Amino acid sequence: MSESEPATPFRERAGQALRDSFLQEALTIATTKFIGLRREAFDEFPEGEALRDRAREIKEATLQRLDHYLDRLIDNVERRGGHVHYATTSEEARGIVLDIARRTGARTAVKSKSMATEEIHLNDALEAAGVTPIETDLGEYIIQLAHERPSHIIAPAIHKTKGQVAELFARELKRETVADPEVLTRIAREELREKFLQADLGISGANFGVADTGTIVLVTNEGNGRMVTSLPRVHVAVMGVEKVIPSMTDLAVFLAILAKSATGQKLSVYTSLVDGPRRGGELEGPEEFHLVLLDNGRIRQIAGPLREALSCLRCGACLNVCPVYRQIGGHAYGYTYPGPIGILLTAMLNGTESVKDLAHASSLCGACLEACPVRIDIPRMLIELRKDVSERRIAPWSERVVFGALGRLLQHPALYRVAARLARLVQRPFVRGDVIRRVPLVFSDWTRTRDLPPIAARTFQERWAELERAGRR
Amino acid sequence: MVTCLGDVFYPEVGEKIVRLLRGLGVTVEFPAGQTCCGLPLFNSGYHAAAAAVARRTIGLFRDAEQVVVPSGSCAWMVKHEYPGLMTDPADRTAAERLAGRTHELSQFLVRRLGRRRFRSAVGGRLTYHDSCHLLRGLHESESPRALLRDLSGSQFVELPGSDECCGFGGSFAVRLPEVSTAILDKKLASVEATGADAVVACDAGCLMQMRGGLSRRGSRVRALHLAEVLAPEETPR
Amino acid sequence: MTSRAEFFDRIRAEMGRTRELAPMAPSVRPARPRERLDVLRRELSERWRENLQRFQHEFERVGGVFHRVPDVREASEAVARIASERGVRRVVAWHAGALGLDVVAPLTTRGFEAVAAPDAEVAGNERERRRALAAAADLGVTGADLAVAETGSLVVVSGAGRPRSASLLPACHVAVFDREVLVESLVQAGLVLEAWHDGTAPPWRGASINVITGPSRTADIELTLTRGVHGPREVHAVFVEQGLALRRV
Repeated sequence: MSESEPATPFRERAGQALRDSFLQEALTIATTKFIGLRREAFDEFPEGEALRDRAREIKEATLQRLDHYLDRLIDNVERRGGHVHYATTSEEARGIVLDIARRTGARTAVKSKSMATEEIHLNDALEAAGVTPIETDLGEYIIQLAHERPSHIIAPAIHKTKGQVAELFARELKRETVADPEVLTRIAREELREKFLQADLGISGANFGVADTGTIVLVTNEGNGRMVTSLPRVHVAVMGVEKVIPSMTDLAVFLAILAKSATGQKLSVYTSLVDGPRRGGELEGPEEFHLVLLDNGRIRQIAGPLREALSCLRCGACLNVCPVYRQIGGHAYGYTYPGPIGILLTAMLNGTESVKDLAHASSLCGACLEACPVRIDIPRMLIELRKDVSERRIAPWSERVVFGALGRLLQHPALYRVAARLARLVQRPFVRGDVIRRVPLVFSDWTRTRDLPPIAARTFQERWAELERAGRR
Repeated sequence: MVTCLGDVFYPEVGEKIVRLLRGLGVTVEFPAGQTCCGLPLFNSGYHAAAAAVARRTIGLFRDAEQVVVPSGSCAWMVKHEYPGLMTDPADRTAAERLAGRTHELSQFLVRRLGRRRFRSAVGGRLTYHDSCHLLRGLHESESPRALLRDLSGSQFVELPGSDECCGFGGSFAVRLPEVSTAILDKKLASVEATGADAVVACDAGCLMQMRGGLSRRGSRVRALHLAEVLAPEETPR
Repeated sequence: MTSRAEFFDRIRAEMGRTRELAPMAPSVRPARPRERLDVLRRELSERWRENLQRFQHEFERVGGVFHRVPDVREASEAVARIASERGVRRVVAWHAGALGLDVVAPLTTRGFEAVAAPDAEVAGNERERRRALAAAADLGVTGADLAVAETGSLVVVSGAGRPRSASLLPACHVAVFDREVLVESLVQAGLVLEAWHDGTAPPWRGASINVITGPSRTADIELTLTRGVHGPREVHAVFVEQGLALRRV
């Protein structure tokens, strides 16, 4: 277990999110905007569809020879003077980073946005060890000051108003300010500029690790990725093993579709290729470069049912189109990774048990699969998770009874007919005109907000004899 | 294939389909003893039971030349999931044969029969909601629109966000009813904003969800199955 | 702590348990990228005008400011003009050998405080001092090792005389480039990246390559776009028609 289960049940957290009117508005605006931007970007990019297929193939090809490509990546990183570390668990990963911090005497660490470091809960560990972690991506900086966790993979502070951010800055930074994004951005720039220049340690994730060359690639918009990997004396990159890709030629394929899928940009502002520590007489660059390769449940999925999810580029496109995410936002999911892919990643990191409710947080509409740049079949894997839950009997007893009965009913037409007739009788007190407005028990959850049609006086099958006769006439 | 929801809740839709097809010169048969395609079991992860229901259904339609289904989700289940659920190779072959012969209603009318022009049975302004399984599972967005655009006696208006889920999702609607309703409210707001008199869909699940919401809010907008909108020919051509 | 061997044992064990999958292949890498690149460059040199036009269009689309000058003298003038329009006082620049022109002298003459990066390794405290200069600078002048028309991107490779900070710390970034570095697409940029990593890099090559597509930006607060978060608020590209004589990557 990497992450502990949230205290409140999912349905309750979802309910809270639905009642948060600002969150609702923010989610609608943000996701609608991202959907539009993504659509425009791909509309003017006819090669996009073929490249998505290519991208999927490259990811699958890489998995098929993962040992070979990781081997090459490691050899090349070491050849350039970098150090590679191997973390099987979150705990180990934290330990490795803390060890580097301790050994290099780091007191502050600037971080560029990294879901991998969120996943292993690195910041808490750093603080406990007396190293101050400073998030530098504006959205992450905001939520760090607010002591919250990100609510979206690429827009972590989507749930905050500019007024809330202004209040936050006033309170935490002791700075008078106004609720104007330009002004707030300027404040963050000033505050963080100092931190970048003074920090001993830079911590980043990695969007890609190019095996052929030992290059780590970071994709950012703000410039903090560049700062973090150039200014502090030590740079540590935490990278999931599945992020390795074979070559620079492959990199071009992913770059062509990643930013378009995430924000509709052709490329994000900074695509930074890091070839190890400072060299060649350059003025800036870290003296030490460390790559922490992270397993944390990924390796087990190489032969597992969630293998396809290892192709994820962390673009967030599936979040933006998911009807459930769009209504409840990221925090309601309760784990590091929200949205459709988040459910799969949570299962990967914490086991099927952790998603026995979340696996049903989907209407299986398929919009995620449609939007995914590497065509991950998320709905299929959600059904697999549900199957795992049912086979392991971890679903609630009442559910198993209902579905058990349903299964039997649907295999025995005589039982099915009896059930229909019974239901027709039982429903009588509840029928008002041609609708049912309230029923107790099983379908009360439906009728609280929606009318139900009554069971027909005669089912189609009961009418067929007549219909058949009419046809022969 | 009448489908479980169609049989029990919307038999009039089934009747209209029979009349519609007969009017086009199609001989309609109905294998007795149908229950369900098994999708509710499949989606909730009860695959052994789903496979048993699937095997039974395959058997029922063994002699059918073509199978017409009024719901995109059920057609999808048969075409895409039945073969994979069969472990026995003979069963799998039978499943694949059935898959090849199964069509959702609008696909059958437009793509197999080549029929697009019908008189409208309802008049007024109609809009169309793309059900998820029909749109993304069966890649069908054109046939229903062709039928609705060519209807004489009613006008067609596109629904913004027509490709967005209505929130039904089968058991999702009762497992997470608050979320399901919030998604539905968004859908119905779009529907009402079009000024249409009715929203048309090709899936009983979507209709149950949308009709349930429209009725609860006392809306004058109706939710109709495609078959309720196409007037049958009186005599076969 | 997990060793490399233990890590790979686990990976190989899991790979061994994988059911049969249809084999897939990654992209075909060019066998001799540097030769392929030479061929490409010859072809591109015939289409440079269209490519430049496309570059300008895309560069402006992402918020860049494009300038075109006939020669290096005018290029320096352009830099000076940009500097005075923005009330700039301090300028840091790549070394003249990496830029293909001397901006320090013309800027100093006009009253700006301009400093170029040293051409070789310097001691730690000197690096500190230079970093402080860059952080205090209002404008940074760099070259561009690639200009990608498809996306309007400038690519800068770090090294001796080509510090990362010049395109990162000052609020205004000016990149000077010529037709030699124009490529059409990301695919071609991929080939260049292959070529740059093929074999041993020259001793003055640094460890950082940045593909820069417009000024630093964020929309993290209520999705309102703001520029100049951590990196430059403005990016200028100055195209020098006559070409630049510089030590190329």
